[in-house]
Amino acid sequence: MAAVPLIAVRDLEKTYAMDGPPVHALCGVTLAIQRGEFVAVVGPSGSGKSTLMHILGCLDRPTSGTYHLDARDVSRLSDDDLSAIRNRQIGFVFQGFNLLARTSALENVELPLLYAHRNRIAPAERRVRALRALGAVGLADRASHFPNQLSGGQQQRVAIARALLNDPAILLADEPTGNLDSRTSIEIMEIFQRLNAQRGITIVLITHEPQVAAYASRIIQIIDGRLVTDLANASHRAAAAELAGGGHG
Amino acid sequence: MLRTSVRLAIRALGRNALRTILTMLGMIIGVAAVMTMVALGNGAQDTVEQDVRSAGTNLIHVNAGNYTRGGEESRIATGLGAATTLTPADAEAIGRTVAGIKRIAPGVRLRGWIASGSHRFYGQVLGTDVPFASMFGWHFDEGRWFTAADVAARRPIVVVGRTTRDQIFGSGAKAVSRTVTIHGQSFTVGGVTDTADPDQIEMAFVPYTALQDALGIAYLHTITIEAVLAGDASRIAAETAALLRSRHAAHINAAVEKLRRAGITGNQMPQFGAGAAGAPDDFTVKTQSSEALTKGLYTSVAAFVLANMPKLDEVNLAEMNATLQRARSTMTALLAGVAVISLVVGGVGIMNIMLVAVKERTREIGVRRAVGARRRDVLVQFLTEALTLSAVGGAIGIALGFVSAFGLTLLLDWPTRTSAAGVGLAFGISAAIGIFFGFYPARRASRLDPIDALRTE
Ligand SMILES: Nc1ncnc2c1ncn2[C@@H]1O[C@H](COP(=O)(O)OP(=O)(O)O)[C@@H](O)[C@H]1O
Ligand SMILES: [Mg+2]
Repeated sequence: MAAVPLIAVRDLEKTYAMDGPPVHALCGVTLAIQRGEFVAVVGPSGSGKSTLMHILGCLDRPTSGTYHLDARDVSRLSDDDLSAIRNRQIGFVFQGFNLLARTSALENVELPLLYAHRNRIAPAERRVRALRALGAVGLADRASHFPNQLSGGQQQRVAIARALLNDPAILLADEPTGNLDSRTSIEIMEIFQRLNAQRGITIVLITHEPQVAAYASRIIQIIDGRLVTDLANASHRAAAAELAGGGHG
Repeated sequence: MLRTSVRLAIRALGRNALRTILTMLGMIIGVAAVMTMVALGNGAQDTVEQDVRSAGTNLIHVNAGNYTRGGEESRIATGLGAATTLTPADAEAIGRTVAGIKRIAPGVRLRGWIASGSHRFYGQVLGTDVPFASMFGWHFDEGRWFTAADVAARRPIVVVGRTTRDQIFGSGAKAVSRTVTIHGQSFTVGGVTDTADPDQIEMAFVPYTALQDALGIAYLHTITIEAVLAGDASRIAAETAALLRSRHAAHINAAVEKLRRAGITGNQMPQFGAGAAGAPDDFTVKTQSSEALTKGLYTSVAAFVLANMPKLDEVNLAEMNATLQRARSTMTALLAGVAVISLVVGGVGIMNIMLVAVKERTREIGVRRAVGARRRDVLVQFLTEALTLSAVGGAIGIALGFVSAFGLTLLLDWPTRTSAAGVGLAFGISAAIGIFFGFYPARRASRLDPIDALRTE
């Protein structure tokens, strides 16, 4: 394996101290993910998967422990620096798609470029890039559609196009198929596998469904905020083949 | 980025047009009230200026000659033989040298018959220059005022007052293009002035060059000067006197010498000016108000009064201002009250709608933060929305302000004048309100925790 992992967390703890007793969402997670890996994080509901993803995605900070992203200690960065990292290095895909309502697919996809402050891009160029990203997820012909005019699968593909726009190193997906039927889920997994294989994008896929995790080449299991297993999954499912031969799901 | 923000803002506000318009209402009324207030203020100020103009407090009169004791009433220039020393070149020099002069008109006077056919009228003829009509804000019942070309070409054109017209041609008769005889010379009537001044209404006005020709003289009897600021009249008068003193020095000294040799002394000596050698002047310079005040006084008494009231012009102007201010302060106070209340209501409305927007769009804020928006990007976005809201409200308010100012003039006959400064002020206030009342909601939006925001349903 390569010397410097893309993601390296050590003794990660996250404690929520609201009213009532403190909740230990993460209790000492240590983990390294190399560039180009496709990792699934599985575990029952409430086990701390989303908490982990928020920290990996620089949306949240751990209570203790360290996080090095691309050898850079993220825990000491300012809010603005974290925003810049999310903008350039990380793409998010959520269970609920999180597209802006009454905003066209194209404009939804363009969104990250609006915040690319260190690398200003002209509106015309933004358009071109957004269209290309929509093309990559097979939705070039739906650019001017609003989210409510798209199916769930299509909305999720728009969200993936948005996540891809700044050519991030990492794609973080939290239950991306949670709201989709199984056939559509396979379509989304096909896109993930293609992005991982062709572009070398590192993917962290969070799911509570083992059959979805089976598309990843490494599966990490979390229970009660603790990492319990971390296994290679050499014989992972191949979404493209399933779609080609499988007929209707 | 800003263009995108404004576009986004307009779209966001357009999504709930009715709510947006209702929110703007306070803003619209407030800005309209500000606009109207400024327009009323401008109108009042114009009225003051107009009053000052018609009262003549901004006018300075230079007259050729000086008067010995008793000469004032008889209006006979005596001593010095100086009545011939004031020239168009002096007028030109004053206009060029003394600061704060708006207009200047050389003049030649004649008291005599103005005749047409069998009708004739004994009145005052003033030979003057083009700026004279503007000094008094004249309009013309018929015809027109003479032009610079008429003056330069020394054309015999005459503009008459209404009484003069009535006396010569018959009451209300057409006068333009008819001919009158003045001092044996034919003049064509060019126009009839609408002046209501009791002196001017029974006068006739001709190019001073034409009257010089008719009289066979090359000098002037008078120069009329209009100050830019009425309060400046005393200074301009003083500087004009100093300038003429130096221009006429040689003449004056020679004349004084002649008088001395003839044995004229003391009271018989012309009024002493402030010239270097204490020599008398061969001219007088008076502001309109000093002239009014000292009318009929002995020269020495008049000199005493004037010396003790150097700020006479300023006093008059200040009093006039105060009177008008009192007359309009009630209306201004009322409008200011309406403006302040509406603007506060409008501002709170904007704050409210923005807080609602932040709440409704919490998830959107989370998404934007997730894709890399910094806190300040979110702040700017919502601030831009608030600003757009208030600016649109302000623009509508400005339009309404024009309408209400116009309406006040039309229905109540109150003088108003809308101005670029008024529009600027109104727009500035709306922008300031947008920023002030939009800041809290925008800051709240920018402080949201991205994860909480994303989790919001
Ligand atoms: N903001 C929060 N405040 C308090 N407790 C939280 C918060 N977020 C998550 N938790 C708790 O932390 C634990 C882990 O949650 P989460 O990471 O969302 O689990 P998963 O995504 O695996 O379902 C749960 O017990 C949850 O109730
Ligand atoms: Mg979760």
